[in-house]
Amino acid sequence: MTVGAPASRPRVELAAVRALAPPLLAVLLAFAVTGVLIVAAGKNPVLAYWSLAHGAFGSWDRIAVGLNRATPYALTGVGIALCFRARVINIGGEGQLALGGLAATWVALHMVPAPRPVATLFALGGGVLAGAAWAGLAAGIRLKRGVHEVLATLLLNFVGLLIVSEALQGDLGEPGAGFPQSPLLPNASWLGRLVAGTDLHVGVLIALAAVAVAHVALWRTPFGFRLRILGASAPAAAYAGISPARALVSVMLLSGGLAGLAGAIEVLGVHYRLIDGFAHGFGFNAVAIALLGGLNPLAVLPAGLFFGFLETGAVAMQRAVGVPTPLVAVIQGLTMVFVLSAMGLTAGRRRV
Amino acid sequence: MTEFLAATVRIATPLVFTALGGILSERAGVFAVGLEGMMLAGAFAGVITAFLSGSMAAGVAASVLGGAAMAALVAVATTRFRAEQMVTGLAVNILALGLTSFLLRGLLGRGEAPTIRVSPLSPLPVPGLASVPVIGPLLFRQPVLTYLALAAAVAVFVFLMRTRSGLTLRAVGENPAAVFAGGVDPLRVRMLAVTCGGALAGVGGAVLSLQQVGTFTDAMTNGRGYLALAAIIVGRWMPFGTLLACLLFGAADALQLRVQGLRLPVSSYVIQMTPYVVSLAMLAGFGRTAQLPAAIGTAFARDRPS
Repeated sequence: MTVGAPASRPRVELAAVRALAPPLLAVLLAFAVTGVLIVAAGKNPVLAYWSLAHGAFGSWDRIAVGLNRATPYALTGVGIALCFRARVINIGGEGQLALGGLAATWVALHMVPAPRPVATLFALGGGVLAGAAWAGLAAGIRLKRGVHEVLATLLLNFVGLLIVSEALQGDLGEPGAGFPQSPLLPNASWLGRLVAGTDLHVGVLIALAAVAVAHVALWRTPFGFRLRILGASAPAAAYAGISPARALVSVMLLSGGLAGLAGAIEVLGVHYRLIDGFAHGFGFNAVAIALLGGLNPLAVLPAGLFFGFLETGAVAMQRAVGVPTPLVAVIQGLTMVFVLSAMGLTAGRRRV
Repeated sequence: MTEFLAATVRIATPLVFTALGGILSERAGVFAVGLEGMMLAGAFAGVITAFLSGSMAAGVAASVLGGAAMAALVAVATTRFRAEQMVTGLAVNILALGLTSFLLRGLLGRGEAPTIRVSPLSPLPVPGLASVPVIGPLLFRQPVLTYLALAAAVAVFVFLMRTRSGLTLRAVGENPAAVFAGGVDPLRVRMLAVTCGGALAGVGGAVLSLQQVGTFTDAMTNGRGYLALAAIIVGRWMPFGTLLACLLFGAADALQLRVQGLRLPVSSYVIQMTPYVVSLAMLAGFGRTAQLPAAIGTAFARDRPS
């Protein structure tokens, strides 16, 4: 009956198309460019991509592995998305995740014997605290010493990764293992299986919950509103009396905690021990995932799944068609460049 | 001791080229996080070309092109498309890692990584000077790229500080709108600076692949691009300061390799942390009057120059 309804619906649809188009185009473009590379390597790209999809979704086991792989991506990506929303460029996921895994390992190995959910929860909590502390350190350096958080988080990554190596060489290492890794963690601290007979662990549910909470926090709470205003216009935020310092600290602690949780889940749910280099690539890829999801928590979930399944499918692709797995990094890197370019072009025209 | 100093110079050489390239980029206002990828592309292009053509000169030339090609991608994305500079750099690092490993297997190895071998560039003694004790073997009995690294530091210094183009480049990094008002396109300057910086980083990669090991292995730069980034910070965005920082990091790394023999009270990992911790401390020490180029990290749009 009203004039408003039909007039507003196309606008909503248009907004949805506008939001979805850049990441989808970026992914398609990346696949097209890598398709050319596959042809150059003398292989059939259609066959390669088909075997990639088959490797990712071909069996329940493969799907379980893909979901496990996507879990740390979604958790870390969601935290980074919240940061970027407030124009806090946190690229320290790599170090935060590594230290989360380290702390979870330390707690699991040193705590008094406890039954399963308790031991697991304490270990996960240790991971959250360590990740948050590492991000908080970067936030502190930013606020107290004026070092841009992008440099602080980047540099702290390498320190964090080396702390893990150092710990594995020292107290936490398994003597005589021949590889820098911790001893197997006590069974009580392991994350439970979600589906018996597959590798799928409970961490997937934690990631889902985190995404839902982040969505509500960003769009339905004063905290999220402050982040969005800060990201849209710093002068407007100042006029509204929003403290950028407090927002910076809280969003950094939050995203660091999520990255630390991801690291803890990787240790307690996949490896059952701390392995040197286990965090490799997670933190940087999570930045790509946050961007691919348009800095929107709900959209980070499919973006994380995309990366997770891409990586598990690539192994099958290499086996079936002989297209080497590093192709995945090419797709990831290109997607990232394309999304960033699209975002740069449309920056300043986004709505709060 | 001579051996330790020689190791210092050897480890520092690839960093010097890469960091000098990064200075060009950052002085023009574009963060050089992509150095790692540019370096890796240079290392790959260099050794593959030398392997296929049999010419080391062609290899070095290809490493220039490889690094520049990666940098051109960063240049276009960060200037024409105003993409976030730091994250674009990360993206290029991921891309270069995948691309080099893929091309190695897909194009050259039919699926498996092939064996690439070239005999590394051999030392080129400077007649007379090379026989001076201590300094001789250290400074005058080095492969050609090590001499070039020193020359590059001088060249970048002269260009940045003593030429009109260098002044324009630095002005773009401080205040692109003013340069625009002066009739020069800041985006063009940035694209050139980033691409030339990538070319230098590519040679940094060639030092590794052509001069030091004579082959290509996956991810062989192993974080050296980020180390170069730290060297720029410690060197306060000045060519000679950065050269010193590279030597300092080289010394730290050389020390780290000898840590077990020397029975130092710290582990090798703690020593490996020092470049990053020192950079952070330097940045924190500068405080709010950091020496970063004022307009670094910001995009410039011609239609709204402010």
